[in-house]
Amino acid sequence: MSQTDQAVPAGHVLRYNFKERITHWVAAGSYLYLLLTGLAFWSPWCFWIAVMLGGGQVSRMLHPWMGMVFAICVVIMYVLWASHMGLTENDKKWFKEVGYYVQNEDEKMPPAGRYNGGQKSLFWGFVVCMVLLVLSGTVLWFTESIPWSLRYLRYAAVLVHASSALLTIGLFLLHVYMGVFAERGALDSMVHGDVPLKFIKRYHPGWYEELTGQPASPKK
Amino acid sequence: MSQATLRVQKISGHAGSVPGDDAQREYAVCKLIDTTTCIGCKACEVACMEWNDLPFGQTVFDNTYQTMPETRWNYWNLILFNEHEKEDGSLMWLMRKNQCMHCADPGCLAACPSDGAIVQYTNGIVDFQQANCIGCGYCITGCPFDIPKMNPKTNRVFKCTLCADRVSEGLEPACIKSCPTGCLHFGSKEDMLDIAEKRAKQLREHFDFPSAGVYNPQGVGGTGVVYVLHDATKPELYGGLPSNPSIPWSVKLWKGPLKWLGNAAMLGGLIGLVVHYLRFGPKEREETIKEAHEGAEP
Amino acid sequence: MTNGWVDIKNTDMMLIMGGNPAENHPCGFKWAMEAKRNRNAKIISVDPRFTRTSSVADQFCQIRAGTDIAFLGGVINYAIQNNRIAHEYLVNYTNAAFVVDSDFKLPADTDGVFSGFNEAKTSYDRSSWNYASAGGAKAAAGTAAPAPLPPMPEKVDFDLTLQNPNCVFQLLKKHYSRYTPEIIERITGIPKQEFLKAADLFTSVRKDGDMKKAATIIYAVGWTHHSFGTQIIRTAAMLQLLLGNVGRAGGGVNALRGHSNIQGATDMAGLYDTIPGYLKVPTPADGSFDAWMKRTTPTASKPAPWESWNYYSNTSKFATSFMKTMYGDAATKENGWAFDYLPKVDRDYSWTNLWNDMYNGTVKGMLAFGMNGVAIGPDSNKNIDALKKADWLVVGEIYQDETSEFWKSPRVIAQGDMKQIQTTVYRLPCAGFAEKDGSFTNSARWLLWKNAAVPTPGDCRLDQAIVAEIFLKVRDLYKKEGGKFPDPILKLSWNYTVPMNPPLAEVLKELNGKALADLEDPVTKVQIKAGQQLPGFAWLKDDGTTACGNWIYSGCYTEAGNQTARRDPSDPSNMGVHAGWGWSWPANRRVLYNRASCDVDGKPWDPTRRQVWWNEDQQKWVGNDVPDFKADSKPKDHMGPFIMNAEGVGRIFAPLAAFADGPFPEFYEPIESPVENLLHAARSHNPVVTKFKDADDKFGTPQQGFNVVCTTFRLTEHYHYWTKNNPMNVQLVPEPFIEIGAEMANEMGIRGGEKVKVSSARGDYIAKAMVTKRIKPMLIDGKKTYQIGIPFHWGYRGIAEDEGKTSLKMVNALTHTATDPNAHTPEFKGFLVKVEKA
Repeated sequence: MSQTDQAVPAGHVLRYNFKERITHWVAAGSYLYLLLTGLAFWSPWCFWIAVMLGGGQVSRMLHPWMGMVFAICVVIMYVLWASHMGLTENDKKWFKEVGYYVQNEDEKMPPAGRYNGGQKSLFWGFVVCMVLLVLSGTVLWFTESIPWSLRYLRYAAVLVHASSALLTIGLFLLHVYMGVFAERGALDSMVHGDVPLKFIKRYHPGWYEELTGQPASPKK
Repeated sequence: MSQATLRVQKISGHAGSVPGDDAQREYAVCKLIDTTTCIGCKACEVACMEWNDLPFGQTVFDNTYQTMPETRWNYWNLILFNEHEKEDGSLMWLMRKNQCMHCADPGCLAACPSDGAIVQYTNGIVDFQQANCIGCGYCITGCPFDIPKMNPKTNRVFKCTLCADRVSEGLEPACIKSCPTGCLHFGSKEDMLDIAEKRAKQLREHFDFPSAGVYNPQGVGGTGVVYVLHDATKPELYGGLPSNPSIPWSVKLWKGPLKWLGNAAMLGGLIGLVVHYLRFGPKEREETIKEAHEGAEP
Repeated sequence: MTNGWVDIKNTDMMLIMGGNPAENHPCGFKWAMEAKRNRNAKIISVDPRFTRTSSVADQFCQIRAGTDIAFLGGVINYAIQNNRIAHEYLVNYTNAAFVVDSDFKLPADTDGVFSGFNEAKTSYDRSSWNYASAGGAKAAAGTAAPAPLPPMPEKVDFDLTLQNPNCVFQLLKKHYSRYTPEIIERITGIPKQEFLKAADLFTSVRKDGDMKKAATIIYAVGWTHHSFGTQIIRTAAMLQLLLGNVGRAGGGVNALRGHSNIQGATDMAGLYDTIPGYLKVPTPADGSFDAWMKRTTPTASKPAPWESWNYYSNTSKFATSFMKTMYGDAATKENGWAFDYLPKVDRDYSWTNLWNDMYNGTVKGMLAFGMNGVAIGPDSNKNIDALKKADWLVVGEIYQDETSEFWKSPRVIAQGDMKQIQTTVYRLPCAGFAEKDGSFTNSARWLLWKNAAVPTPGDCRLDQAIVAEIFLKVRDLYKKEGGKFPDPILKLSWNYTVPMNPPLAEVLKELNGKALADLEDPVTKVQIKAGQQLPGFAWLKDDGTTACGNWIYSGCYTEAGNQTARRDPSDPSNMGVHAGWGWSWPANRRVLYNRASCDVDGKPWDPTRRQVWWNEDQQKWVGNDVPDFKADSKPKDHMGPFIMNAEGVGRIFAPLAAFADGPFPEFYEPIESPVENLLHAARSHNPVVTKFKDADDKFGTPQQGFNVVCTTFRLTEHYHYWTKNNPMNVQLVPEPFIEIGAEMANEMGIRGGEKVKVSSARGDYIAKAMVTKRIKPMLIDGKKTYQIGIPFHWGYRGIAEDEGKTSLKMVNALTHTATDPNAHTPEFKGFLVKVEKA
């Protein structure tokens, strides 16, 4: 958050400091592992992934530990970003107009702040799913310790774990698509940390206004 | 080897067809446990330990004759002792040999994600292949009888094999061999059901058990272990034998609709994104970005 | 057993009482289940606790420990009152019609004792316990001191209408008419309705006089372990005679022996008062072989028109052959077959007496083989005190047991006198059962040969090798040093191929017997050459031309080989005879007294269960089993089927010396009981019981606070005091416990798993409580009485014991040494304790 811990090229603003970036990428790495091994356990058609990753036993052994890594990352991200992620009236408007966003007619969108409504929802989606995954995952991790009389916990856990994992996959796909393909430059920001003001002006006009005191879009 | 492979009709976590499915004429085997002639001698428990060469474990006094509260990864065969007072004040001391029921529609196998960790032979025996077990414990969740147990040291799950090794050599399971009272029988499912029904009829007609009957629950497609019970209307009395067991609804949901829904969603999502990219492309083209980087803010 | 394990499958009704075969004989119990499955047979389980046998019974009655005679007497009364008796059988095959001496008095008329009771000697003059002679003349008692009993009359007075008020049947009816359902409820704690239901069910086999069905009575040490144990079994035998169930397939009185070879032990004179084959030991008064034979050989005593084979008239043949086996050529007609070499038994040398003698310092040493004396005997504390006083103790065992480490018992440690104990203990590693060959004689009297499965480990040696070596060393000493009377040792036959380790097959051959001269059967002209094995005891002679170590085993190892090793499972009659499987005494006969399975004309009572029958064409008895009868005795000759009795018939009334405590069983309270005897309060206990009066022999009363009835028992999961050394058994039942009824536990605030202290007048025992619905409180004479049960398998040596996980005490610290006057068995079942939280 601090703007002073890293030299930023002129015309650029530091968006993600080193701590944020490393957290993001550790989370990304662990998530990818969880996704792959999870998919292996999800469907026989994907079980080959587990084989590629060292075998089912290893996959099963590392999956919960990797889950812990991911969960810790999400917690850190929560601490780092939660304050920015409050949904505002503006975000609600943003969602109402999301159709324009999808069709790349961003200029018709209400001006997004540092994070637009979609990004915020992604964040909260991951936080909520992480909580569900950790809870259900713990039950699955220690299935035998759940007494027979509480077996409904086990039953709930398999459903919750699978459903919330599916949800994260949806979020993940969107996230990657947006970050890598749709919003060119976003990936860069997560790598280098800084973004050009132009980028901010383009994608986060609200934030631009905040930073520069000038309206981003003279059209409006 | 080919024989052994062909003897498999269901495989857990398996993509594609199953080698032995639809390939043999072997009939389903079945163990019949007549609880009305079980004397709780535990010979079956010992025989199971001996034949399968299972290591000893610690037990503690627990106000019962029952060896331990439930089966363990290294104790597959456990007689459950339950004292039940009837309405007329007379006592029944119910003893039920508990072990894997070898369901025709096994919940463990349905829940198992690991290719080949659980198989069902064409004779109906459900067997765990520990070499393929990944230790996820889903089978524990999938079993409506609380049977599979994990060795915490090796993270592999174990349970009664119905002595598949003996049966494949034409022998009866070790527990059957050891039973002194003839309370245990082994043979084809058809024969066992026949004996069981006759015995239940005898109990209804000649003994004081008007509700005697056979336990062969259809919720799991019938079982490879069937019971004759003094009172078939109350299987719960016998140490919580479920009256209508089935694969847990959540496991069914998970392995059924949810799976298809999830697969469709994932695939659909992926396709959707590709289509979106092709239709709308990125929000800004490459050159715009370059520009953005190069052209520093004034 | 009169019958056998397999024969139980032929039954229609089982009264299981004083035994818990489902738990203690699970393999044999299969036949009970076969009967249930194949014949719809019913089980009545009468026990102080609801056991695993009760769990498969059709009716369960919870009885106060030690009141079995009251229950059985009540069933006899019920059978007579409801005419559920086998009339033809009763009249012709039992002594029901015999008239009894007019001097004989029942306890109802004599203040709770039978006629002839001597208060000062606490024994009976049994001369009035006799039949009346047909002529009316009374046989005079002998004049020698001590005065022997008069003989039974040669011609007995009888009344086939059973109406004579002094006939056995009328006396029986009168005696047990006092055992009403009401009094039984007050004594046993079994509610009247339940008792009536059980009595009705059991006697239902004789409904409307039908003789087709058969009922069996099955018991074990729950009956024998009482100060009147023999009489409980007698009552059962009488009931079975009354119902015509003895000699029948699926009938009989069947003792389940608690070890694989206890039957063999008693057959081979495990008790001090017999020599092998149940011949009576000589006493100092006998003086000579002939006098011994005269005393112990019965003469026929029967109604004049009937016949009695009186098989024991052959006693001298059995005894002579035995002496020839023991002393070979040294036994001659001239020296009374070496009669002087045999020890003469002058008093009671039973188990408790031996320990008592050691306690009192007269027995200085002990060889303890195949038993853990400290643990198995009553009053363990007394036994440990006795061993402290011994000079030496030799223990042959496969484990380090409580006896060989008596000096490490918790009590000795608590008393702190371990260092004062001077007893030298020698522990010899012996062989386990799978490491030895030899034969087992099971409860069914079947001798079954087994081979050693594995060699003995380490320094372990076979029992016979150890005993042989001791004998040979002792013999050498006698050879060298002479001694007072060396002949019995020096002249003992020891003709084994390996004298230091006699092969057991040779011993079995010796028991079977062989011809010492050429023999010829006068009728069949069959010849046996000198040195050949005998085909059976019919060949035994009293002229020294045969040798036989145990007459009842004759036939087990013939010229055809070892019959006990036969393993032909076939059973063409499907009656469970299996004549080619092992060999059973006597004469490979599976059901004793099987002549009684036929009516007077020799036709089977039940044509579907044919055992033996009279074949008119062959003019002899034939059958699926070996007839237990004189093969050519025509039915019209009316020879009695009970050929071992001098009367030829079954004894409902047991005359003269048969029992120490009465010709009819009378209910007496256990030595320690919560109430006075409701039949006769002044005569609560067995008047002729054997009791010691040493410091350790204390008895408790309800007034002292000992108000809970306690019984001991075994578990399926353990075998005596051995299996606590085996991890498998320890896993099945890891630690000792005390079974306490839920209501009692509730009242005392005891929960399952909490430690409980049980104390008797002699010692205490601490273990966890097993709170169960299987023991209910009883109303004894209107007073709420609790009963508990303790399994006895633990002590201070074993896996859990060595890890310090159990209480390290022995249950028999609680039990007392009063014994049955006939069999000298201690009263392990049914004594008083107090129970408190530990």
